[in-house]
Amino acid sequence: MFPAILTSLLASAGPRPATVWMPPQASTVAAEVDFLFNFINWICYVFFVLIAVLLVYFVWKYRRSPENHAGSAQGPTHNTALELTWTGIPLALVIAIFYLGFRGYVDLAVIPRNAYEVEVTAKQWSWSFKYPNGATSNDLYVPKGTPVKLVMRSDDVIHSLFIPDFRVKKDVVPGRYTYLWFEAPYATGDARPEHGHHLFCTEYCGTEHSNMNRRVYVLEQAQFDEWVDKQARWIDEIDPDELYFKAGPRLFVLCSQCHSIDGRDGNGPSWGPRAAAGLGNIWERTRDLKTPLVGGRTLADIIGPGKEYGTPEDYLRDSIVNPARHLVAGYGNAMPTFRGQLNDKKLDALVGMMKRIDEFNPDGSWKGAARAAPAGE
Amino acid sequence: MTTLDLTRPAPPPPAPAEDNYLTHTRGFLSWAFTLDHKRIGVMYMVSVLVSFFVGGIFALLLRTELLTPGPETIPGITADRYNVLFTLHGAIMVFLVIIPSVPAALGNFVLPIMLGAKDVAFPRLNLASYWLWLAGAAFTVLSLIMGAFDTGWTFYVPYSTKTTFEGVIPVLIGVFILGFSSIFTGMNFVVTIHKLRPPGMTWFRMPLFLWALYATAIIQVLATPVLAITLLLIIIERVTHIGIFDPAWGGDPVLYQHFFWFYSHPAVYIMILPAMGIVSELISVHSHRHIFGYRFIAFSSVAIAIFGFLVWGHHMFTSGQSPLMNTIFSAITFSVSIPSAIKVFNWLATLYKGSISLNTPMLYGLSFIILFSIGGLTGLHLGALATDIHLHDTYFVVAHFHYVMMGSALIAMIGGLHHWWPKMTGRMYDERWGRIACLLVFVGFNVTFFTQFLLGSQGMPRRYYLYQPEFQVYHVISTLGSYVMALGFAITAAYLLHSLRAGRKAPANPWGGRSLEWQCASPPPHDNFATTPRVGDCYDFSVIQWDEREQGYIVRRDLDPSLRAPGAAGGH
Repeated sequence: MFPAILTSLLASAGPRPATVWMPPQASTVAAEVDFLFNFINWICYVFFVLIAVLLVYFVWKYRRSPENHAGSAQGPTHNTALELTWTGIPLALVIAIFYLGFRGYVDLAVIPRNAYEVEVTAKQWSWSFKYPNGATSNDLYVPKGTPVKLVMRSDDVIHSLFIPDFRVKKDVVPGRYTYLWFEAPYATGDARPEHGHHLFCTEYCGTEHSNMNRRVYVLEQAQFDEWVDKQARWIDEIDPDELYFKAGPRLFVLCSQCHSIDGRDGNGPSWGPRAAAGLGNIWERTRDLKTPLVGGRTLADIIGPGKEYGTPEDYLRDSIVNPARHLVAGYGNAMPTFRGQLNDKKLDALVGMMKRIDEFNPDGSWKGAARAAPAGE
Repeated sequence: MTTLDLTRPAPPPPAPAEDNYLTHTRGFLSWAFTLDHKRIGVMYMVSVLVSFFVGGIFALLLRTELLTPGPETIPGITADRYNVLFTLHGAIMVFLVIIPSVPAALGNFVLPIMLGAKDVAFPRLNLASYWLWLAGAAFTVLSLIMGAFDTGWTFYVPYSTKTTFEGVIPVLIGVFILGFSSIFTGMNFVVTIHKLRPPGMTWFRMPLFLWALYATAIIQVLATPVLAITLLLIIIERVTHIGIFDPAWGGDPVLYQHFFWFYSHPAVYIMILPAMGIVSELISVHSHRHIFGYRFIAFSSVAIAIFGFLVWGHHMFTSGQSPLMNTIFSAITFSVSIPSAIKVFNWLATLYKGSISLNTPMLYGLSFIILFSIGGLTGLHLGALATDIHLHDTYFVVAHFHYVMMGSALIAMIGGLHHWWPKMTGRMYDERWGRIACLLVFVGFNVTFFTQFLLGSQGMPRRYYLYQPEFQVYHVISTLGSYVMALGFAITAAYLLHSLRAGRKAPANPWGGRSLEWQCASPPPHDNFATTPRVGDCYDFSVIQWDEREQGYIVRRDLDPSLRAPGAAGGH
C-alpha cells in the first residue's frame, strides 16, 4: 500500500536519486525494497546503539584499576523474565521483517500476464537480448511503463543478471530457463551510456566476469517501437559497400571480449598484428596461410584448391560459426559458436572488417578509410 | 591425593628445570608422532597461523589491485591471476584457517584440560586428524603448481567442471581430506565430552566453551560428510562424464548448490559457535564474575547448531529455486538470529556489575561483541527476501560474512590465543603492545569492511576485477583500512614471538580464571593433572584470590562449598 502511494507520487518526477545506501529507484518495485531496507536499517541502528552504548557504559562504570586484584565481583547470574523479554522482542521484530520481505518478494516474483517478453542469452562473456520481432541487441532496451519479462538461458556456465537501479536479480542457469521481470516508469533515452542503467553479471563466470556488464535503456513507447523495428532491419538498411565499417563495429562488440584490434593478447588471438608470434594482422596471416594451428599444422594445410576451404575468406567465416573445428596454436577451445545468431550479411560484415582491420581503432570504431584508395578511383 | 597442582601455593616459586609438555620429550619425532593433545594443538595453531599469513597476503594483493578500477594496478595481476588469488584467499581462509582454528587448534589444547583429563578420548585419531590436515594443505599447494584453480572457494558447477582439470581436481581432493580431518576432531570431542568429564562436572557445569565445542563437533560430524560426497561426485562427473551437476551431461547445477550449502552453511556455525564459546569465557573471566544466563547461552549454542542445518537455501534465493522454497528458507533463517541475539545480551549482562580488566583478550572479546552485532544485524537484510534479491552476490554479502567469519570467528580466535597464550607457552606478552595492536585491528577492520556494505548496497557485484569508476572512493578507503589491519596483525606477530624469548614467566592463573585449565601449571605438565580433579561451579569466582608470591591468581578449592560434597575426592 505504502510503496504504491509513493510510486504514484513520484511518477511525474524522475527516478528518486541515489542515497548513501541505495542507487536511484528506477523500477516500480524499488521503492518497496528500499522501504524494507531502511526499515531494517533503523532496527539495526537502534540495536547497535543500544549494544554499543551499554557495552561502553558498563566497561567504563565497572572497570577496575590495575592494582585491584579482587578475585571476584558479584552480579546477578540470571533473570528469567529479562531473558524471556530479550528473546521475545527480537522474535517479534524478525517475524515482521520476514513478512515484509515476503510481501515484497511476491511483487518481485509474480510476473504480470501482459508482460513484454525479451529472450536473454548469457555466455562467457556477453549478453544477447532478442526481441519478439527478431531484433537483437547487446544492451537491453525496454519500453517505459510496460512490464518486461526476461526469459533467460545460458550457453555455458551460470551467470546472473543484475540491474541495481531496478533492484532485480536472477541467476541464468545452463540447462533451464529462468524468468525475471520489472517495469521501468522513467525513460532514460538511449543517447549516452551514462544515462542508461547498469546491468551486471553477478555470478562469477571466469576471466571476463567483471567485464560482462552492459546498459539498460528505457525508451518512450513510440521511440521503443521505432527502435525495435529499426533494430530488426538495421543491417538491411546498410549499403553493401558500407557494410564492413557500419555493421562491422556493431557486431565486433560480440568479439571484443576476447579479441583485440591493437595486438594485445586476449582469450583469443588478436585481430591486429601478433608481433610476438612474428605474424601480421588477422587478414595478413590468413591470406598468407601462416597462422599455426593446434597439432603442428598451419593454414596452408587446410586452405587452397582441393583442401578443406577453397579461400581464406571461407576459413574466416567458418571460424565464426564453427570455432572448435580448427584451433589456433596456443589457444583453447573457448569460443562459442555464433551459428544462427549471425546471418550471412552479418558474417560478411565481420569478414570484411577483418580484411581491413587497419582502418579500425582499438575500441572497434572506424577511423575512416585511412588507407583506402583516393576518392574518385 | 595431594599430588595435584591444585594445592598451590604450596610449592616454592617455579623451579627452572620443571617438567612440562614442551620439555617432556625432545626432538622432531617427539612432535611429529606425539599423542599429546597439547602438542597437536600447538602444531595446529602454528599451521593455522602460517596459513592465515598466506591467505592474508593474498587479501592484501587483492585489495591493492582494487585501488583503481582498471586492470593491473599491480603489474602482472591480470584478470586470471586476480581470480586465482580471490579463490585461494577464500579457500585457504575457510578450509585451512577458520574451520580448524578454534576447534582443532585452541580446542585441542584447552578441551581436555578443562575436563581435567589427561588427553582426548582417541589420541591417535587426533594425530591422524593433524596429518590429514597437512595432506589436505599439500594438495591445495599441488593444485597451485599444476594449474591454479580459479573457481571461487564455492566450486560452483558447471564452471568448476569446465576449467582446468589439473587445477581443480587436486584441490577438491585436498578439501575432501581436510573434511576428514575436521570429522576426526569432531568425533573425538563428542566422545571426550561424553565420557571424560570429571566427577562433579554435570552437563550444566561445563564451561560454555565446551558447550560450544560440543555443538560444533556435532555439526562437523553430521555435515562434513555431505561436502565429501559432493566433492567426490564432482570428481566422478569430471572423470566419467556421468551427468550429476553439469547440464552438458544431463546434470543439474542447482543440485550442486543445494549439496554444497547443506555443508557450507552449517560450516559457518562450525566457525562461529566455538568463537562464541571463547567469548563467553573471555567476558566472564576478565569481568571476574559469573556468566549471566548460563543455560540460555548453552541452549542457544545447541539451537544454532540445529537451526543451522535447515537454512542452507538462503544462499540460493536468486538461483532459480522455487518461490515457495525461498519463502520457507527465509522464515527458518530468521530463527537463527534469536539465539545469536540472546548470546549478545547475555554477554552484555555479564559486564553489568563486573570488575572489568581491560586485558588484551578482553579487548578482543569486546571487539567481538561489536563486530558480531554488526555482522548479525546485517544478516537481517540478507535473510529478508525482497532485500536479499538486490544484495545477493554484491559486496554487501562480502562485508556481512567478513564481519561474521573474520570480525567474529577470527577475532575471537585471536582473543582466545591471547587468553591461553600464557598457558600454552608459559610466557606473558607485552600488554601495552597487545592493546595497541587490538585497536589497530579493530579500527582497520571496520574501515575495510564497513565501506563494503555501502559498495554492495549501491550495486557493486563481488568477484570483480574491473569496476565502475564511481565505486573507486569506497575501494580506496577499504584498501587503506586493510593496511591498518595488516599493521595490527604484524605488531601482534612481533610481540607474541618476542614474548617466547623475553616474556615474563606466566603464573598458573594470570587472569583469575576459574575453570580447570587455570589450576595446572603454565605450561601444563605432560599429564595435565596427576589425578582427575573434582570440580564445582566453573563460573563461581568467589573462591579466587590474588597471590603476591605467585603474581597470579589461585583457586582456593578449600573454600568451594560444592567440592565439600560427600565423597569428594581430591583437594585437601
